[in-house]
Amino acid sequence: MTDRVQIAALAASILLLLLVLELVRRRHLAEEYSTLWILSALGLMAVSWRRDLLDTAARWLGVYYPPAVLLLVVILIVFTASLSFSVILSRHQRQIDRLIEETAVMSAELRELRSEREPRASNSPLQLRR
Amino acid sequence: MTSAAFTPSFRGLIIIPAHNEAANLPAVIADLRQHRPDLEILVVDDGSADGTAAVLEQLNVRWLRWVERRGVGAAIRAGLRYAMRSRFTAVVRVDADGQHDARDIDRLLAPIADGSAEVVLGSRYGATSEARAGTVGAAQRMLAAFISLVTRNSVTDPTCGFCALGSRAIRLLAEHHPDGYPEPELHLFLSRNAVALTEVPVRARGRLSGRTSLTPARVVAASARVLLALLIVPVRPAVESLHD
Repeated sequence: MTDRVQIAALAASILLLLLVLELVRRRHLAEEYSTLWILSALGLMAVSWRRDLLDTAARWLGVYYPPAVLLLVVILIVFTASLSFSVILSRHQRQIDRLIEETAVMSAELRELRSEREPRASNSPLQLRR
Repeated sequence: MTSAAFTPSFRGLIIIPAHNEAANLPAVIADLRQHRPDLEILVVDDGSADGTAAVLEQLNVRWLRWVERRGVGAAIRAGLRYAMRSRFTAVVRVDADGQHDARDIDRLLAPIADGSAEVVLGSRYGATSEARAGTVGAAQRMLAAFISLVTRNSVTDPTCGFCALGSRAIRLLAEHHPDGYPEPELHLFLSRNAVALTEVPVRARGRLSGRTSLTPARVVAASARVLLALLIVPVRPAVESLHD
């Protein structure tokens, strides 16, 4: 890697870190979800700063072209991020499901209470048996 | 009508999940009222777009509704939540297409009334040794064999939706009833959580009118999901909130 590439990589990872922190500051990104991105930015910063880390990793993995390892790291980060999005999505899905069900039950309860109190005013002719 | 001698605290609710079943609901509900007038009826309208809502207003039943289709599992979960909150002690799930015979409800509720089971599952193939022909029949037999093996229970009809639940099962499944194509997964879930269940034979009938919602693509998706459930559900942690 030339020094210019190293400087560009360092600048990009610092920009990423600043962007993430700014998003958290503006509450556009919840702290809970910022951890992954902050860790990624720090990791990218480390390998841009200390290129010997990248060279050592490349030798250990048997990769002849060290920058390819950087690409591998980035792919790993993106993969981890999308998996964590799926997990978050599943949790939100479950919460929304329960919310829809609870709302449906509550609106039925309200409707039944109303028809008990004012049978004529209500649209529903339901008379609850006790 | 010969219903079992229930305790005075018995309150039964029939839950009918319905998606575009306006044509069948009046006959299904009339049939249920004729055989079990003592049971309340709750229809869960799962995003119907065929005037089911208007039909429900006429039928004088309890109902829940949401605007988009979310699946039969979600409909049952909501119905059970309603049952739990309105202090019903037993629930019978009946399909809206008329496939389930109201005369079988007594038999489904009997083990719950005498306390011998918490969940009673209807089986269309339990009593008769009627052969299930074709690819679907073979797939169902294979599924039944797998689920029997995994749950160490004799399961003859893992895709039948006709079932009855006691109060403990209502509480459990109001939160945890599976989604998607839920009947086989329900067997696995109940077995994993050590819920006492039994099978009783029920009559099999065709749909009254309309078409089944099962398309080949849905069958493939459902099979994949059931296969995943066969692997995953038995090794999931048991649900904790049961021991109260």
